[in-house]
Amino acid sequence: MSLWGWLFRRHQREQELDEEVQAHLRMAAQERMEQGETAEQARAAAVREFGNVSLVKEVTRDVWGFRWLETLLQDLRYGLRQLSRNPGFTAVAVLTLALGIGATTAIFSLVDAVLLKMLPVQEPEELYRLTSVSIKGRANDYFSYSTFKLLEANNQSLSGVIAFRPMENVDFVVNGNAELARAQAVSGSYFTTLGVKPVLGRTITAEDDARGASPVATISYGYWTARFSRNPSVAGARITLNGAAFTVIGVTPPEFFGLEPGESVDVSIPLASLPVAQPQFAATGTPYDVLAAPFRNWLHLMARLKDGETETRALANLGPVYEQAMRQSAEGMRGLPFDSPGTRKGFPETRIQLEPGSRGLTALREQFSKPLMFLMAVVGVLLLIACTNVANLLLACAKRRQREIALRLSLGAGRVRLIRQLLTESVLLAAAGGAFGALVAFWGSNALVSLMFHSASAIQLNVRPDARVLVFTGLVSLAAVVVFGLAPAWRASRLDLSQAVKESAQGAAAPGRSRMVESLVIPQITLSLVLMVGAGLLVRTLQKLKNSNPGFDEQNVLLFSVNPGMIGYKETQVAELYDRLTEQIRAIPGVSAVSFSTFSPLARWSSFTDARVEGHTPKPGENPAVTVNFAGPNYFKTLRTAVVLGRDFTEADTAGTPKVAAINQAMAQYFFGDSNPIGRRFSIPGWKADDSALEIVGVVENAKVNSLREPSPPAAYMPFLQSPDSFLAVTFEVRSAANPTALAASVRQLIQQADNRLPLFGVKTLSEQIDESLVQERLVALLSSLFGLVALFLACVGLYGVMASLVARRTRKSAFAWRWGPSGCRCWESCWDEAWRWR
Amino acid sequence: MSTPMKPRTERYQNRIELLQGTLDMLILQMLQWGPQHGYGISQSIRGRSGEVLQVETGSLYPALHRLEKQGWVASQWKQTESNQRAKFYRLTAAGKKQLLSEQARWAQIVNAIAGIMSPAPEGGQS
Repeated sequence: MSLWGWLFRRHQREQELDEEVQAHLRMAAQERMEQGETAEQARAAAVREFGNVSLVKEVTRDVWGFRWLETLLQDLRYGLRQLSRNPGFTAVAVLTLALGIGATTAIFSLVDAVLLKMLPVQEPEELYRLTSVSIKGRANDYFSYSTFKLLEANNQSLSGVIAFRPMENVDFVVNGNAELARAQAVSGSYFTTLGVKPVLGRTITAEDDARGASPVATISYGYWTARFSRNPSVAGARITLNGAAFTVIGVTPPEFFGLEPGESVDVSIPLASLPVAQPQFAATGTPYDVLAAPFRNWLHLMARLKDGETETRALANLGPVYEQAMRQSAEGMRGLPFDSPGTRKGFPETRIQLEPGSRGLTALREQFSKPLMFLMAVVGVLLLIACTNVANLLLACAKRRQREIALRLSLGAGRVRLIRQLLTESVLLAAAGGAFGALVAFWGSNALVSLMFHSASAIQLNVRPDARVLVFTGLVSLAAVVVFGLAPAWRASRLDLSQAVKESAQGAAAPGRSRMVESLVIPQITLSLVLMVGAGLLVRTLQKLKNSNPGFDEQNVLLFSVNPGMIGYKETQVAELYDRLTEQIRAIPGVSAVSFSTFSPLARWSSFTDARVEGHTPKPGENPAVTVNFAGPNYFKTLRTAVVLGRDFTEADTAGTPKVAAINQAMAQYFFGDSNPIGRRFSIPGWKADDSALEIVGVVENAKVNSLREPSPPAAYMPFLQSPDSFLAVTFEVRSAANPTALAASVRQLIQQADNRLPLFGVKTLSEQIDESLVQERLVALLSSLFGLVALFLACVGLYGVMASLVARRTRKSAFAWRWGPSGCRCWESCWDEAWRWR
Repeated sequence: MSTPMKPRTERYQNRIELLQGTLDMLILQMLQWGPQHGYGISQSIRGRSGEVLQVETGSLYPALHRLEKQGWVASQWKQTESNQRAKFYRLTAAGKKQLLSEQARWAQIVNAIAGIMSPAPEGGQS
């Protein structure tokens, strides 16, 4: 009989068997009556002769098969009855497990999304990321367009090479409504190589990615839903990107987010259309043309290996091609302003590398892998505490059920069968805990994501529990059963019968009875203490970081960024604009100081370059790199970075005056030791066609650049207005007397008046920016505190349970003592004594 | 108290194992004269063996259900002569074949055992 037949016909067969037996009894009785017995006698004799009716039925049922299923159902029914009989116990156990399993699953779903999940493309394991590494070990993720073309044309081992470039925010207009969208430029091979099929229309092809092709774009499923209400006739719709007309040709599938976990691409356009959407960046017709200049590295490259190719062979194949590309790059920059033999020499010294690309780009992974692994360990401990808690409860419960268990054992129930029954109850608990845990996880993981990425950086991660996460939850619940259910079940089945019967008659426990319970309470308290202490340390670290002097005053500073170069401003125009804006912002009531710089503190990016200091001869192998920043007048005053020697930048430092610079104490110490650096000179080779020396006019205190954790690196500051630049965005720093966010509206209005085409972005306070830079620390500290508290709570529940059962055992004794004893204190004493022993 | 625990069944199972082949054969043999219900089968075995063999119900019903599962007998609900509803078992074609081979095997065993047990001295001729 098949399982289905069994399931459907079980009841009917059950009835038939009963009828068959009854018929047997009737016929036997009738025959006896025919021989003269009374109806009653005959009936009784027939039953006697037949034997144990239910036993006969049971052994007959055994023949049908699926006995295990039968017992399982029986166990489940019985288990459910047991659990519903003790609703308090069940609720506490399920809740405890739900917390443990839910927390573990929530963190795992993050780990999965950030660290484990493969890209939603065809055979992601065949994909490799191309990177290069210099002879000094400096890794680089970017390649030039000509390198991409060379690699694409001259390799034998790749079935496809793709190039793409995230474009950050673009201005997206459809039907007259403007909005910022996340866009990327992709090569014509992108979608076909990845094997991403459109849900509507078509994807970008090599024809679209040719110079002069009409500009087209694919939109994401999310964007199609949000901006086009899933209109099926979207293909052919006209949209405007950064002011240029594009035609929508298709919609990418819902699961496709691009190749960078955490980023979500709304619009993709062909690389060849980049000059239309970002003319300033593309610099068409200049020596810096992104689609021509061999030295402009701006593209991420990924490749798919041909069937049967190995990584080693592919690398051997790509090496010479890459060398050729690098020679071209070095040649291509000859005669350009920043050309120097040193820079040119750097090119051929890099090697190409292949890295597994099945999980996409790694930025998010690198940032969060350690904190997430740490949190995974923390929730593991939490789960362990939850499990011990439930084990404790089960043990206490088993005590109450001793009588029942003793009775069953004495009726001949096998120990294995008994363990199985008790384990079934544990499985029921774990299943309920797992189900609620999945709910907790679903809610929790979304909360976690918004916690991790609360700011404008708006990282989008898909943490919806998928099959993998649910399987994980299932496994964790199963493991939990083994941890919390096995020991109590084993213990219960090893009951000493005579002892148990005696005990339950007397209602008192034998000495040493609660040893197992105690031995579980101790690690539980220990573990939760470890978690709490760990959490305390992490919170302390975070506080220390926040309270450390970063070398500037982060209070009451508003930041905002503009990039006039994006809409075609030339260098002199940029200088004029910044000058005017500074003037106007300073006039806003409440503003106490204002300046601007290419890199704001802790903006998570900065520029490193070699410095050549007069009077300092680098030792062989020494590479004196400094970080550089270009700042407006009163920069140090605005940020309240102390000027130790010399002066701040002023309005007088313009293109017409001799070039000056300020350095920080770290740089002063490195190059000049204890001697006074004011008046000394250094140059930055390769900067702006002009490596004439800069005179040091100021020494400032060390300010943090990239991270509060790292010591300040040697840093040089140059007046922006002496060498204005139209390529990079600048960030304005506005110091106010009170809450700086109140200034945002007036600033926005000012920018609007200055030039209504000017994109304004990154409006936030400096404290917010610092908080963002501490996101890992905050995440880890906050979550470990939270988990620590939960663990403590669970430990308390466990402790309460144990104390409660202990007190219950003493109730009889206490009642006697209260009534007849000299004082009630004795009872407290004895309870405390017992509790104290666990110390 | 309701208990899902299965009481010891080893006693019956041992008996079934001992008797299994024989009991199955006896049942098939009883059915060759026509369909019969469980009670009828046990009564016939008892009667035909001169009250020597008493089949316990705990062995009979599992055996019947097993034979049915193997396809050697088929069952049907019918009225008895005394107008009672009962489950009648009858031999299937496969069951008949099985009975023949059981009979042959039984004859072999009986001969063999008789050969061993017969009082005639072994090898007396030589």
